[in-house]
Amino acid sequence: MRNGFGISMNKSEETISISNNNGENLLVLLEEEQRKSGYLSQEFITALAQSLDTPVSEIYGVISFYSFLSNKLQGRNIIRICKNLPCFLKNSELIIKCITQELGIKPGQTTPDGRFTLVLTNCIGACDKAPAMMINNDIYGDLTPQKITKILESYK
Amino acid sequence: MADITVTINGNQITGHAGITILELAKENSIDIPTLCYCPDLPPMGACRLCVVEVAGSKALVGSCHTPISQGMVIQTHSPKVMATRKIIIELLLASHSGFCTVCDKSNICELRKLAMDMDIGLSRFQSKKRYFPIEDISPYITRDLSKCVLCRRCLQICNEVAKKRVFGIGYRGFNSKVIVDLDQPIDKEVCRDCGLCITSCPTGALSNPAQIGEEKKGTPLVIRG
Repeated sequence: MRNGFGISMNKSEETISISNNNGENLLVLLEEEQRKSGYLSQEFITALAQSLDTPVSEIYGVISFYSFLSNKLQGRNIIRICKNLPCFLKNSELIIKCITQELGIKPGQTTPDGRFTLVLTNCIGACDKAPAMMINNDIYGDLTPQKITKILESYK
Repeated sequence: MADITVTINGNQITGHAGITILELAKENSIDIPTLCYCPDLPPMGACRLCVVEVAGSKALVGSCHTPISQGMVIQTHSPKVMATRKIIIELLLASHSGFCTVCDKSNICELRKLAMDMDIGLSRFQSKKRYFPIEDISPYITRDLSKCVLCRRCLQICNEVAKKRVFGIGYRGFNSKVIVDLDQPIDKEVCRDCGLCITSCPTGALSNPAQIGEEKKGTPLVIRG
């Protein structure tokens, strides 16, 4: 199942052939839909549950477990700030505060113009550059409040 | 099947190959406390209350999912085991936001019974409580997730025995909870005439819809400590 995630991180374009629609491919299926539509709609979840013969609760459980999957409509750019310990120790709280002030939204919310969605995520593997965040597929490390404005400006 | 001899608390005990430490202990009337264990269903090892000390193993092992092997030396009630179990109960109580005095199942609550057996009164730990609204829409079942200890017995019973697959586990870490569909309040027609999860729930998280004038079940438990 872990492979399903590696694929999107590498921006690989290879298509995954899903020959047998069983639960093992669940994460890949969710990931693909997330990339296509930007979020996982209720209709999609229900239809997928039916075709895989799995309970809706199980699929929703997977979606709610991974912060990279969302069941809410998201903005064009998704800012993911790491909330785990190494980043916390390097004052990620300040970065979160800075971005929330800059955009006027709280974690989990989307700006009214649909430009940004701000989410707090678990480790993104950039502890060496803590505090770190990810916008779409780009990683920004060693963040300071000064850098934030400039980074945000480059995303339309 | 070949028989296996192990030493439990200094006594040589023989059991069939393939059974777990917990099953062997039960056969020989050794009391190991459990919260998530459902007889005859695949073990989950979620609650960790059934841990025992096995010689040669660095950590304590969950007896409900560890099969016996020849020559095992097991301690079911050593000081280390008892201390661990006590801490587990205390931690469960710390985030368990049920108020026993007004809980209908408090006298038949397994968590409370275990706390009583181990002389645990107020928990030493102060932690954030898990609060959720009571779900009482369904005419067949009432759910109060604030009292849930995430033992996953309802999932086991519903999936394996009732075969209705109503529940799932959602979110992660401290926010983990037992969910129904898209994290909706439970209101399923399949729950009609079932109630298996209600009887399996060790706490007051799942109960029959309250009826006026109903008396509290069981004799009052007295908790010292």
